[in-house]
Amino acid sequence: MKCLSSIIAALLLAVIGAPATAQTSKPAEVDLGIFTFTSGPGAAYGVPGRNAADVVIGQINASGGIGGVPVKPIYVDEGQGTNAVVAEFRKLASDSNNQAMIAALSSANCLALAPVAEQLQMPTFMWNCDTHQLFLKDKYKYVYRTNSSTVPEFVADALYLLAVKPNVKTVAIIDPDYAFGRDAGLIFKQTLKALKPDIEVVAELYPKLGSPSFNTEISRLVAAKPDVIFSNFWGADLENFARQAAPRELFTSSQVILALGESVLQSVGNLLPDGVIIGVIGDGWWKSSTAQANPQTKAFIEDYRKRFNEYPVFPSFKMANTIYAVKAVYDKALATNKGRWPTRDELVAAAKGIKVDTLTGTLALREDNDGLVDQIVGVTEKSSSYPFPIMGNMVRYPANLVTPPVGTDPIAWISKLTPTMLANAPKPGSYK
Amino acid sequence: MAYSGPSVFGAFDMVVWQLLALAVAAMALPVAVPWLGFVITVAIGKGLAALGVAMLLRGGLISIGHALYVAVGAYATAFLMLSVGMNELFLLLVCTTAITMASGLVIGAFMARYRAIFFAMLNLAISMVFFTLLSKLYNLTGGSDGMRVATPTVLGVTLDRTKFDLVLQFSAVALMVVVALLIDRYLKSPLGEALTAIHANEVRLEYLGVSARGVILAVYTISAALAGLGGAITAVAIGHVVPELSYWTASGQLVLIAVLGGISGVPGAFIGAFFFELVRTFAADFVPDAWNAIVGVALLIVIFFLPQGLYGLLQRVKMRKARL
Repeated sequence: MKCLSSIIAALLLAVIGAPATAQTSKPAEVDLGIFTFTSGPGAAYGVPGRNAADVVIGQINASGGIGGVPVKPIYVDEGQGTNAVVAEFRKLASDSNNQAMIAALSSANCLALAPVAEQLQMPTFMWNCDTHQLFLKDKYKYVYRTNSSTVPEFVADALYLLAVKPNVKTVAIIDPDYAFGRDAGLIFKQTLKALKPDIEVVAELYPKLGSPSFNTEISRLVAAKPDVIFSNFWGADLENFARQAAPRELFTSSQVILALGESVLQSVGNLLPDGVIIGVIGDGWWKSSTAQANPQTKAFIEDYRKRFNEYPVFPSFKMANTIYAVKAVYDKALATNKGRWPTRDELVAAAKGIKVDTLTGTLALREDNDGLVDQIVGVTEKSSSYPFPIMGNMVRYPANLVTPPVGTDPIAWISKLTPTMLANAPKPGSYK
Repeated sequence: MAYSGPSVFGAFDMVVWQLLALAVAAMALPVAVPWLGFVITVAIGKGLAALGVAMLLRGGLISIGHALYVAVGAYATAFLMLSVGMNELFLLLVCTTAITMASGLVIGAFMARYRAIFFAMLNLAISMVFFTLLSKLYNLTGGSDGMRVATPTVLGVTLDRTKFDLVLQFSAVALMVVVALLIDRYLKSPLGEALTAIHANEVRLEYLGVSARGVILAVYTISAALAGLGGAITAVAIGHVVPELSYWTASGQLVLIAVLGGISGVPGAFIGAFFFELVRTFAADFVPDAWNAIVGVALLIVIFFLPQGLYGLLQRVKMRKARL
């Protein structure tokens, strides 16, 4: 038995190589741990994220990598569960070439990884988790979110709705039954309550995440006849819902808001009539004028389309922008160090307050480590150039308008919003 | 065939040695590869729960809902810290074990009436009800986002996280050895031997004047306590608890680990847990897109070629040596 254990230990050592040592000189490659879903339902967003990472890292390496060093992504599947994700994170943190981590997609994993990153003093950039709980109670030095949170994302939908339908009376909500769906329902409801107190919520439905059928819920929505239906369904749920609701003319009988709708325009967009409100939860819309004006973005879109036979969706841009942000942090730290390779602490210091030009706009990291990203909202619009609808009548809400200021409780901030906010906000159609 | 195996005392010694060897491996691996410390700690947590499942399997009872007690343990730890303000590692482990033991006793009182598929399904049902509660009671449990578990103190001393992880790992290894030896004694006591008898012929056991229901209630309560202790270790190791701990796939994993390791001896559950966690870790490393398949194939190989589990293989080697 003892002999067996020593054999195992020897094997493991041979597999992994010598334990990590502190990195001071320029490494042969920049390892980059990237946590995303490549199995399970989360893969609906995890795989576009991973695809985008492949394309972006290819582009970065083609133009000399980071500080002349090629980047090597190490992908970790979040579908393994929180246990294994934490274990993988610890493992990758022991790799001295891996100075920064991009993690994670799921909010639960982000919440679990944040204290671990802090403990291991590992610069970590959270690319997709939206939960406003992340920085609510805890202050982190090593954890940044290169992404907006649920609050600006769903406040933007409410602003857009009130701009295009100022006389709306009744609203129904249908969200998946987990923290993300519940949070979205609360935020959307509270925003409407603050900006237009006479709105009545006639139905709140929270079907199980991953339900094969939403027919019961659709029947209830048809019967309730609300002016507006809000949903933050995503992935397979959103496609299922669109397929099941379209034949029952839910999209024509009510004004529907699909907060994450951009991600399914290419797959089920043709089922949707013109005028369905579509969110991007961020600014990652590939056809926006900002994206199209940037040659780098155009190259990314073209490359992505060639390799994966589809246009990038917003999760792709969240990942791509995060990787460019990490590169910008490296570049800044290298410049501060006058070319000496940065330590992890120097990277974290460089990330503080950085403002990055991304593929689709800008990303600013605030003093509380949260990301400031604009929010694009629009409606479905048939297109003569594409076999699927694109977004029209768009607006780009500046991040500062829709994001609660540093140190405020987000839900309390929402309840203090006033109709003047609506007057000051840019109008639908003001953005192309 | 004349009995040529080890004597009862010899067998006891054997288990001690096997457990000590496991403990040495569990301590040595992280010295060589520091990040494995966490994997080992979580594996011991799973091993404890799998040991509970293995005990039930000895009595012919399959629980495909034992992750329930892992989750009860994990959330009990989270709530004890958050609501009660209990902040001492060892106190937390003791209280959590007591809480899961109590819940095991209550639920076991119903479970002891059922056998076979009914026992399995009822356990599954209760664990899924608990999963749903954890997910739905958003304001209380944080829903699918889960709850934070802070770093507890150790004997009143606040340690930095790295030292704490080391203490936790050593404590888990020590607990593994102590608990496994206690369970080994239990399984070799009349109450434990009655378990095998239930599997073989329950009616005859009743005629001998032993209450089958009592035997099952005892083993069920103990197995719940083991799973709860495993859950507590997992919760403080990860620092975050999520409802998925109670999901049926987690229960399935425990049965898998128990079968994989082999139920003929106490070390089996831990061997299975170490094997499973290490295979998964390395599979995810080398083939990030197909780790599921690698784990699946590894399990199939063990089940096809080692029906007695990895521990059975160990015993077979020993038997052959004894015969030579």
